Amino acid sequence: MDYSQAMLVFAVLAPGAVFGLLALLWLGGWVPSERVISRITGVTFSACILALVTILWRLAAAGHSSVTVTFGNWFTVHDYHFPLVLLADRLSAPFLGLTVVLAGLIGRFSATYLHRERGFLRFFLLLHLFAFGSLLAFAAGSFDLLVGGWEMVGITSVLLIAFFQQREAPVESALYVFAVYRACDIGLLVGVFAMHRWAGTASFAGGLPALTGSRATLVCLLLLLAAAGKAAQVPFSGWLPRAMEGPTPSSAIFYGAISIHAGAYLLLRVQPMLAQSFLASAIVAAIGVATAIHGTMSGRASADAKTSLAYASLTQVGVVFVEIALGWRAIAVIHILGHATVRTLQFLRSPSMLHDYHMMHSAIGGELSPTGKYLESLFPERAQVWLYRWSLDRGHLDNILDRFAIHPLRRLSKFFARLDSLGTGTR
Amino acid sequence: MNLLTAVAIGVPWAAGILTAATRRHARAIGFAAALVSLAASALLLRGAPARESLNEALMVLFASLTLGATLVIPRRDCTPGTMGGILYVLGSTLLAYSTENLVVLLAAWILSTVPFFRAQWFGARAWRPRIGLLLSSIALAMAIAVIAANGHAMSIGGLKGRSPGGMTVFGLLVAAVVFRKGICPAHAWVAEAAEGGPAIPTALLLNGHFGAMLVAKTIVPLFPHIAGEWFPLLSYLALATALYIAIRALTENSPRRLLAYLALSQSACILAGLESGTAEGVTGALVHWFVVTASTMGLFGVLRLLEVRFGENLTASRYLGLAEHAPKLAVFFIVFALALVGLPGTLGFCSQDLLINGTLASHPQTGLLLPIATAMNAVSVFRLFARLFLGKRRTGFTVMADALPRERWILAAGVLFVVLGGLFPNAIVALRSAEAETVEQAMFISRPATADHSRRNAFNTSLPSQHGN
Repeated sequence: MDYSQAMLVFAVLAPGAVFGLLALLWLGGWVPSERVISRITGVTFSACILALVTILWRLAAAGHSSVTVTFGNWFTVHDYHFPLVLLADRLSAPFLGLTVVLAGLIGRFSATYLHRERGFLRFFLLLHLFAFGSLLAFAAGSFDLLVGGWEMVGITSVLLIAFFQQREAPVESALYVFAVYRACDIGLLVGVFAMHRWAGTASFAGGLPALTGSRATLVCLLLLLAAAGKAAQVPFSGWLPRAMEGPTPSSAIFYGAISIHAGAYLLLRVQPMLAQSFLASAIVAAIGVATAIHGTMSGRASADAKTSLAYASLTQVGVVFVEIALGWRAIAVIHILGHATVRTLQFLRSPSMLHDYHMMHSAIGGELSPTGKYLESLFPERAQVWLYRWSLDRGHLDNILDRFAIHPLRRLSKFFARLDSLGTGTR
Repeated sequence: MNLLTAVAIGVPWAAGILTAATRRHARAIGFAAALVSLAASALLLRGAPARESLNEALMVLFASLTLGATLVIPRRDCTPGTMGGILYVLGSTLLAYSTENLVVLLAAWILSTVPFFRAQWFGARAWRPRIGLLLSSIALAMAIAVIAANGHAMSIGGLKGRSPGGMTVFGLLVAAVVFRKGICPAHAWVAEAAEGGPAIPTALLLNGHFGAMLVAKTIVPLFPHIAGEWFPLLSYLALATALYIAIRALTENSPRRLLAYLALSQSACILAGLESGTAEGVTGALVHWFVVTASTMGLFGVLRLLEVRFGENLTASRYLGLAEHAPKLAVFFIVFALALVGLPGTLGFCSQDLLINGTLASHPQTGLLLPIATAMNAVSVFRLFARLFLGKRRTGFTVMADALPRERWILAAGVLFVVLGGLFPNAIVALRSAEAETVEQAMFISRPATADHSRRNAFNTSLPSQHGN
């Protein structure tokens, strides 16, 4: 293992190791002070940034485009392998950099923001676990390993939404988000299985699994299901405003920056396969367009700052999906990096938004003037009312999901309960 | 039966009698007996060849579970009767795992259920569990009687590949599996046993996985021809059970019933994996067996500890906020829960990965039910966690101790097993893979090579071809 490879392994594993160590010490009865936690976090992510900078510098110096670390197979059964390969290439390196920089910043911000909060240690534990999951997903050299990181991001996301556990609303929201994630992840699991069966591998360290025609289309559509769920694309957008129940720093890094773009990363990873299928590309583009329109409409009707920002994120991610469908990979990556950075800043400033406005008003000696003509005023009045109601109800997506998925399942479950209670006289 | 096997089985039985006779030091006697049994089982496993160590591995697993149960069982439940019953179940289960004789297997099968019929031991009152266990014993007894009536020997090794008694015996054995394992439509007794009976002994009963053991040890090796033709039906039934129970669990509010449903739904996947006939599926099933056993035991253990602290009438219909009182128990619960439904970082992730691959490869359409059922189970188990541990702290509850050191260490050992197994799965997977090859070979013995090939490639032939668009 050369120096760059060692650095990549360190950058990916360090947050996971810190999580494991802190969790074990807590189970042993030791509760570190806030200062210790924030210093450990700062040192960890600074070291990760340093490691990634070193990798990039050495790659540039050597004229290489990627660094790959192969550990062999995590487990093997007959001719089925779970390859353990880490990869930092032109696509994953920006995402790895974004993750460690923003996680470090969020750690620094949260040390003050969550000062004396009861769940201070819990937040930082989950932040480290999230960073580990994200780094694993972005540095994975195979879809098998990507699934591991992907699901880790999902579970930390859910646990952070339920961070303020004394209130019921965040916990209910977390459950809803978890259900959507799990439902959509079925696409990823089956898609990876299909790659194993048809191409004999799900590794992309040496190029994407060779699939063409209808098989490529089917795999792309399965992965699209997972990507759309993670990126809150239409019709799964209903979970995003609920996810705003979590603390602001976690909303910033999850739904402004990393987690919301994980779906786009997955599609970027399979983009060469996607490009072979007109049908899959068209569906990705259609979902992106629908989401962008839905996001901008619903965001305009949202009453609170975080939800408005979440919908603004959604709009941009929808546009990123369109860019991916059109094959504009470089533009999509640049778009993601720029958007994630700006949106994180906006999320982190959102609790101080009124203060910021007051400062600006004071500075200019009056109120800020409206910026440009509003799009909605171009529509007839009746259409405006209808659109407002449609946007206020967030495109009725929650109602549709309730009516056609949740309620039928609940009714079926209760019917089964009645069947089971036959003969016992109870319900 | 060699000396170590006799020690592994005899010591718990002797200790059970001693506990009942002296009626003192129940926990100490139970712990010592389970420890001796575990040590003997571990020595047996060490001496067993890699491809034929399934019985010994299961003995170690069950002895470990019982050892954990003797430590984690709350003082309120640790009566001489309960501890005696637990030791009795341990001895009977190990006898069933270790025997190669059908009559002994039947005896162990029946003996392991006896404590659940006697009110003095486990105090179970519900009628459905008794009927379920009774019917399974009757079906097995009839199957063995038919084999004996046909003049066959009672040795499992001697009957391999001979289909003794034909379809009649095969059907009776499958019926025994269905009743004992709680496959639909015979599933209702499991939830009632969990709700009406003692939590930890019932978890031990369920985690004996006698149904899966009968499949792996008897049905597959004895009936390779019939199994190849009719076994998929049992697999479909198991997958349908997994989905039915997963849907049923979505609205269940009794924590015990809900845990029983989750255990049932997840363990039904073991049968589907065993039937898949693929190396991944069978290995996944065997690894999943270990995961389900460790996690459900941990979950029932934590639930019982909560019940003795906060009252027997815990419910998932409202938020109880118990994490404020017992944060460590909350962490143990969520780790076991995530392992049960195959989240990464746990051994459950590997077993689910293998199971999904195996079942989808052999049954592309029905195999899809497995990830769907698992996703629903994940939602149900997270809902249970949220309702028990999250929400506003209830002032009605007295402030209670979190996990005691005795409980903490044994639960931590369980957590370490599922987490370290998840981080370094190859040791466990490789062992199970070797055993899986034996099971797989038994399934495909005397089967035409073309049939074998088509089964392995069912997915490839059932979906569009590479250039089919």
